[in-house]
Amino acid sequence: MASDSSPGRNNNGPSSPDEFASSPIGNTYSSPATRTRRRRRSTTPLPYNTPPTNQSRFATSESTPTTTPHRTRHHVSTPSSDGGPPPSSDAGDDIDEATPTFVWGTNISVQDVKAAIQMFLKHFRDGQSQGSEIYEEGKYMKGIHKVLEMEGEWLDVDARDVFDYDVELYGKMVRYPLEVLAIFDIVLMDIVSLIQPLFEKHVQVRIFNLKSSTTMRSLNPSDIEKMVSLKGMIIRCSSIIPEIREAVFKCTVCGYFSDPVVVDRGRIGEPTSCLKQECLAKNSMSLVHNRCRFADKQIVRLQETPDEIPDGGTPHTVSLLMHDKLVDAGKPGDRIEVTGIFRAMSVRVGPTQRTVKSLFKTYIFQFDEAKIQQLKELSKQPDIYDILTRSLAPNIWELDDVKRGLLCQLFGGNALKLVSGASFRGDINILLVGDPGTSKSQLLQYIHKLSPRGIYTSGRGSSAVGLTAYVSKDPETGETVLESGALVLSDRGICCVDEFDKMSENARSMLHEVMEQQTVSIAKAGIIASLNARTSVLACANPIGSRYNPRLSVIDNIHLPPTLLSRFDLIYLILDKADEQTDRHLAKHIVSLHFENPESTLHDVLDIATLTAYVSYARKHIHPQLSDEAAEELTRGYVEMRRRGNFPGSSKKVITATPRQMESLIRLSEALARIRFSELVEKHDVTEAFRLLEVAMQQSATDHSTGTIDMDLITTGVSASERMRRENLASAARNLITEKMQLEGPSRRLPELLDELKKQSSFAEVHLHDLRNAVAELASEGFVVLHGDSVRRV
Amino acid sequence: MVGPMYDFLANPLGAVRSTFDKAIGSESDPSSFDGKDWGAVDLFRHFLFDQARLSQVPILNGATINWIKPNTLVRFRGMIQDMLGNELYVGAYKDGSAWRTNKFMDISQCPVEFNSPDMRLWERRLLYCVPVPGLSSWAESTSEVAVNMCMDSTSEQRDKRRRMDIEVVDHNDFPVSGDEFEYSPSAKRMKEDPKNEGPCSSHAILPDVNRDSLPCLVKIYDSPESELKLNDVFEFVGVLTFDSELPSEKVDQDEFSNGLCDDVSVNLPPNKVPRLHCVIHRKLTGYDFLQNSPPTEPKPHLVKEAREALLRHLTSILGNDGVAAHFMLLHLLSRVHARADNVAVGKLSLNLTCISKEIASVFGTKLNIVIKNLLPFTKCIPLTMEYLNTAFLAPKKDYQINRLIPGVLQLAEGSHLIFDETCLETGTLDSVGIENTRLLKALIELQKVEYDFQYYKMEMMADIQILILSEGKSNILPADIIMPFQPSSSGSSEAVPAEVLEAWRWYLATVRSMPHTIESDMQKVVENDLVTARQADRSLGSQDFSRWLTMGRLISASFGETSLSLEHWQMVKELERLRIDRLK
Repeated sequence: MASDSSPGRNNNGPSSPDEFASSPIGNTYSSPATRTRRRRRSTTPLPYNTPPTNQSRFATSESTPTTTPHRTRHHVSTPSSDGGPPPSSDAGDDIDEATPTFVWGTNISVQDVKAAIQMFLKHFRDGQSQGSEIYEEGKYMKGIHKVLEMEGEWLDVDARDVFDYDVELYGKMVRYPLEVLAIFDIVLMDIVSLIQPLFEKHVQVRIFNLKSSTTMRSLNPSDIEKMVSLKGMIIRCSSIIPEIREAVFKCTVCGYFSDPVVVDRGRIGEPTSCLKQECLAKNSMSLVHNRCRFADKQIVRLQETPDEIPDGGTPHTVSLLMHDKLVDAGKPGDRIEVTGIFRAMSVRVGPTQRTVKSLFKTYIFQFDEAKIQQLKELSKQPDIYDILTRSLAPNIWELDDVKRGLLCQLFGGNALKLVSGASFRGDINILLVGDPGTSKSQLLQYIHKLSPRGIYTSGRGSSAVGLTAYVSKDPETGETVLESGALVLSDRGICCVDEFDKMSENARSMLHEVMEQQTVSIAKAGIIASLNARTSVLACANPIGSRYNPRLSVIDNIHLPPTLLSRFDLIYLILDKADEQTDRHLAKHIVSLHFENPESTLHDVLDIATLTAYVSYARKHIHPQLSDEAAEELTRGYVEMRRRGNFPGSSKKVITATPRQMESLIRLSEALARIRFSELVEKHDVTEAFRLLEVAMQQSATDHSTGTIDMDLITTGVSASERMRRENLASAARNLITEKMQLEGPSRRLPELLDELKKQSSFAEVHLHDLRNAVAELASEGFVVLHGDSVRRV
Repeated sequence: MVGPMYDFLANPLGAVRSTFDKAIGSESDPSSFDGKDWGAVDLFRHFLFDQARLSQVPILNGATINWIKPNTLVRFRGMIQDMLGNELYVGAYKDGSAWRTNKFMDISQCPVEFNSPDMRLWERRLLYCVPVPGLSSWAESTSEVAVNMCMDSTSEQRDKRRRMDIEVVDHNDFPVSGDEFEYSPSAKRMKEDPKNEGPCSSHAILPDVNRDSLPCLVKIYDSPESELKLNDVFEFVGVLTFDSELPSEKVDQDEFSNGLCDDVSVNLPPNKVPRLHCVIHRKLTGYDFLQNSPPTEPKPHLVKEAREALLRHLTSILGNDGVAAHFMLLHLLSRVHARADNVAVGKLSLNLTCISKEIASVFGTKLNIVIKNLLPFTKCIPLTMEYLNTAFLAPKKDYQINRLIPGVLQLAEGSHLIFDETCLETGTLDSVGIENTRLLKALIELQKVEYDFQYYKMEMMADIQILILSEGKSNILPADIIMPFQPSSSGSSEAVPAEVLEAWRWYLATVRSMPHTIESDMQKVVENDLVTARQADRSLGSQDFSRWLTMGRLISASFGETSLSLEHWQMVKELERLRIDRLK
């Protein structure tokens, strides 16, 4: 039945006319008797009107689609694939001639597409609901109901759903969007008027989320009139332009109002004479602005994002025409993805410009699936930790443990906020102390490049206000404005501070709050604010006197207050050991840099883009929790660390770990789990965290006189053994003074006392300033009076 | 066939058309020419290079623009200053039954409906090119036809004017009323005194048309994107269209009232910026700027002679300071030849210290002249507080006009910059100044310039030789080599014969482009030397080693050799020793 209504053209569409006729939704059309057939030969090409697409030829020709579907036949230019017999059945029936409508210039039948769209809209179900609830309404039927309830104007259709349901429909939609979308709209309106015949608004379809998005660079003439999806950054928005949709004219002679004239191909056909039979005055019609219908339009310029620009190129731009609800949907600076039809617009003479007509846009800024898959594959590699370590600043060799620490900092731990309001930071702070020329700054620069929101400052140039936030006065209005400094700007990123030791006292004190509370408080010029500064601090400092003196403690080597120092989770000493091996390595490296192709020397490492993607994916999506096993290990390890300070039989109390270290350990283990893309912190993460901490502490918190780890070195700057030595010296001095000096007697000079003290075997190496310190301590007890170098017993 | 049927120079479009007709006759489907050439370019290449007629093609510049006829073949040498994206055009269309092409033309003569099968849309790239910044007068290109054109202005003037012009072009988005240009055929208009034009437009038109430095909008057909990069110096040969007839009033103001119109013609009216439809382009190297092409083969004795003479000359210019002259020679030969991470390998910036204002007034200008005479692109910037606080060093994207506003640091590869820090006085830097010093530091340390795209910044690679004259060590511009300058005389200023200068230029261009390697046994020697040096002095770091190796490379290159020899490596160490002695 359906086949004889076919004129013998065999279309290669997805559903043949037979299928179409037998399909359940095809019911309205399946009976040829009720069909009104009309054949319209049209040689005009498809009208290219502007959206909304409802005024397309389909909408105009099928005024009442539900009851009397007309079929319009358009000029078919493609030769049919088989020269079938001429439509003999139509011979005697010159009015009722059933010819499938083809999309002009193609062999796609409108009916097929229509049927496919109806099938899709009515029967598409989400993956989750599929199978379980067959009787449940499809995803888009629900959507339509919702639109009707909300009196919305559009229905969002996920292009991936279309793809999943009907690959060929998707293909047609992408290749012939104007036509297919117009049919989409008609089908949608059919359904809408079936459900709610009195619904007045026009509902449009908006497609989004195409399978693949094109880069702006690869757009070329062959993409014209195709549906494309583009990512980019809005750089300019025009103001809203009213665009005429329907015009009404009034006869200036008789006052007759014309019917609304619809825009056709961007033009309004102004009637040349009054349409009223009685009047028919020539050139009398004038536009009545108040009765015309306008739609919003906006022109937006979209620019390539920096990562798509090749070396030595400048970003490309594309103009977007936004209509109706999309107007003002984005501001300059937003990163968006738009789906639309790529069209060329003629500009006066010859050359044309590129525009994308926007259909739907989403603010997605996400990884595409292939990339995620790739990253996940990567994370499954057993030695991912080592690969990442290797890939981190591959041109700086060795320092592997430092790199591991930095890696942990990049991934970060979990921030925790308790109900009580107490919060624990997840960011790991690292301090690098070391000799000049040990590539500290290069490490810093590298991390700065990798980190998603890194800020790089130098301690020498930064003041407290420059780092945190400051209030400035607007020179024109006199208003006070709060401006963010480096730490606030690197919220959720890493703030790299070079030459930390050169920073002013004032600026450093601001860091106390930032590094533990992660906020910056401002109380200035009437503005009281607390700004978030959830940033990891990566600082590097040079020792005093430019070279690290291993005899002195870290505190003495870099003049940093212990309170600040203890806020760093990891402190690494990067010392330049006079080691021929490393020197040779350096020499080799530099020679090869100069005489060989530098790229070829690196292998088996991830490039910086992958590394960045890996880090940001992990930071965003992986939030590891402590497993019971790991928690136990943490407790055990911590207790053991504490115990290490109490040697049996030793009276000195050495603190080897503090609660701050405990927190650091948790953060480090979480970061290590993140590196593996694991949601669970496991035992070996904790073990590695202990190792990292120990390596860092061994370098910085080792008491050089005893060789044990002593947290007092960090927290107070004085090790326990040093403290004991001082106590001994003080008591010896006290004994000496009690022995040798009279109460209220003549004063004696310190060097004399030193000489006498040196006679005692255990104090042979005492320095004058040590003695002075000891005597000063006695003086504070009121035992002696110290005047310059002279001591008097009171 | 007896000679070509068409005149390539006067009627290049004829050649394009006839090849198209021939190609379409055999192929019959124009879609096969999408993004391809049908043989026209080969014909031109044969004409220009195989028949060596390139020199007959007139050069397009401010002086010649007034007498070159539109739609003829011209040459333009310039730097790609901005990329204006791609443009679609009606490439081929059916006129009745015959296919016609619009390639290499501005105006499409097709009345056909859009997107009909009788029309093919093709794509071309738009590049905004300017004469190379800081082009020395000797490197000005002249063609046989243009020899009689006098060019009397000094380059300094040109610099100044160029900046001015760009400003005029850039901010020139006021609507120009059409009646001034209408109906005057270009040939006629050129003979007219420009002052006859309307009062409102004259000040905008005058500096653009009559000037030495003329920008050009180059349209590139069918070439891979990676071939042409920003800041590259190219020679474009193509069809000139300079149509003052094209209506230049703002188009479609109702539609694009917000100036979002993409069309470049709004900001670059065709009567101010000529269009060049490029047929053939080639990248220019230092060689191409030499006037008479000298022997390309670097014969050892020629290289050595040139080296000796140049070094002697530099020594006498520098007041008989031989060590400084050596370093100067190496500095002039340096270029970035590789990059690894953040390290630009091969750069050798030089900071001559101990130069007071008085010494600078004696030697500064002389040095400037010498360098201008030797290198094709040079610039001298006196660094003052005011300059730092006001200059636009980094190029900046202006989204209002959709153009990249050039900054001082947008320079072609291989440019030479002199920073005269002797006139710098104490003062306060404002935010612009701090940004500028940051840019300068990044340039000298990493050879990168950050371009400001408003929403983000983009780092562009640069290869710029930097010479700093300062009293003490410059902290704004931390150079690779700090060289205390110790002249013993006031320096000579003898005139150098032109052919000698030419030989020196040839020497510098040749030596700079030579490849370089190191033998494995020499590599061992160098490594051992570095290790021993570091064992002796712990303060030596990778920067010092890098400097030595760069110097080694340059010294052996300066003798025209392609691999490092022990003798030259010893020279490096000796030079360094002399320099360190002076620093003490």
